[in-house]
Amino acid sequence: MDDPMKRLLQRLIRRIPSQMLKITLDKWGRLTAAQQRSMDFTQPKRVLTEKLLSICEENEWTVKHVTELEMIYIMDNPNQGMWNALQLMDPEDDSPSVNLMQFKEQFKSHLGEIVRHVSVKMKKHTDEAIWIRIAWGDGFSRSNHLKPTYVVHQLQTPYVFVTSLTSKQKPLLSQALILATRYQNIKDANLSGQKLTAIRDLLMRQYQQVFPNKYHSPLTEKTQTVLNTQIEREQAESAANRCQMACEAFGDGMLPQLQSAVYKLETKFRDPANKTMTEREEPFRCVVKFASTNLLESLRQCASSGVASTPVTPLLSSIPLKGKNYFVVTDNGPGSSQK
Amino acid sequence: MSLLKPFSKLPGLNTASILLVESEEQFQQSLADALVEETAVSVYVRLAKSLPLPKENEESRPRLDLVVFIINLTSELSFHSAVASLKHLDPGYFLGKVCFMVTNARTASVPTERLDAVRKLVASLHCPLIFAEDQTPDGVTNATERLLTILKVAAGLVPMATALYLSNLTRCTVPPDIDQPSFD
Repeated sequence: MDDPMKRLLQRLIRRIPSQMLKITLDKWGRLTAAQQRSMDFTQPKRVLTEKLLSICEENEWTVKHVTELEMIYIMDNPNQGMWNALQLMDPEDDSPSVNLMQFKEQFKSHLGEIVRHVSVKMKKHTDEAIWIRIAWGDGFSRSNHLKPTYVVHQLQTPYVFVTSLTSKQKPLLSQALILATRYQNIKDANLSGQKLTAIRDLLMRQYQQVFPNKYHSPLTEKTQTVLNTQIEREQAESAANRCQMACEAFGDGMLPQLQSAVYKLETKFRDPANKTMTEREEPFRCVVKFASTNLLESLRQCASSGVASTPVTPLLSSIPLKGKNYFVVTDNGPGSSQK
Repeated sequence: MSLLKPFSKLPGLNTASILLVESEEQFQQSLADALVEETAVSVYVRLAKSLPLPKENEESRPRLDLVVFIINLTSELSFHSAVASLKHLDPGYFLGKVCFMVTNARTASVPTERLDAVRKLVASLHCPLIFAEDQTPDGVTNATERLLTILKVAAGLVPMATALYLSNLTRCTVPPDIDQPSFD
């Protein structure tokens, strides 16, 4: 039993919370029935780690087995770490017909050509998304399994989600991806968040959308809490209008949980009271960051309560519309930049 | 500009109508639920975010006996919204039919200047100023009781007491040294 494997297993057990440990181990299925019975999950982590290390010796597990366990855990709990979205551009003619086997072979072989000592593990999730775990090495050292990159891609969609990818590894991954998916280019989608499910739902629009309609009576009924004839809201109609416009901009029901939105301003300073700043030629560089536990929900509340003016400004409504949370605003209008 | 007039409609029998104006539209809902539970008098509550009120409701609106402006001291917007709404009220209301209610006065993050500004405004209008606590049911009950006392007088349901008389007794005053720095 080698040291890197021990370290990896220790780190992994430390990372998995106690409640999830039994479920994850059962799903993995590599413990015999006797070993499963011998594990007492009420004991502290330290004791469990030692027990697992001894079982590991018995069963002669390798790094490969432990990475399997890690992958199972991450696939079931994807909402941790920081995920970034990438978008594939300019598909070739045969890109819609790339199937799973083809993608797997092509990706592995291309990445293997570009990087020496890379360890790639691919798995298909129940929702048809392909999960890839990459442990990077280079010409001089073996793959480092302690800092793997996870990549999630759904075939036939142009989106790829990555976590723990350094700037050095990015071009290598991008190259392998565009060759395997038969696209010509890949760019940053300017969307990042802690929850993979949230950014995926935002990009694929998997939340309840509201479309403009002439008779929005269902919404006005929702705003009336109790049908008490002695209490009446004077401005119920304008409140319903605001609510409707807020929902049109951001959606209805549960919204994908984004944590932040960043606006990089490169516009000229405009304030009639401050002449020295306004006279400057260069744009006034400034970064505005909105942060919240559920950013889209807070923005929708701002709009429906009247704090933000309605109709919702395109600066805010572009977040769900374009599926981005990093914007560069210039004097010509809001746009997005290539990072 | 259409002003809200106090005596342009006839009163109802044993009824009192109150208008709660609040920019956040939060406290007014719990106050309204508590106000309508009053049994001695039928209380009709109207809720608004700001004045002027929409013209469409002009016909169905009862005669408003008391207008209450609810100001949340933690928000500057709340104060400005209330000040802007004052312009749409007929001066006849300020003879005892307007009341100001302030929440979150004990919060540490509130700048003292804001409370001083509210007090100066309310004192200049000769209206009563009530401090309320909106987070607990007890606070809501207390605020409701105080509002009902003023409402019953303003609706003319208390013999020997008029709104103008009561407002003279209860109106907000500012101490002459309000602009001096305090020793906190």
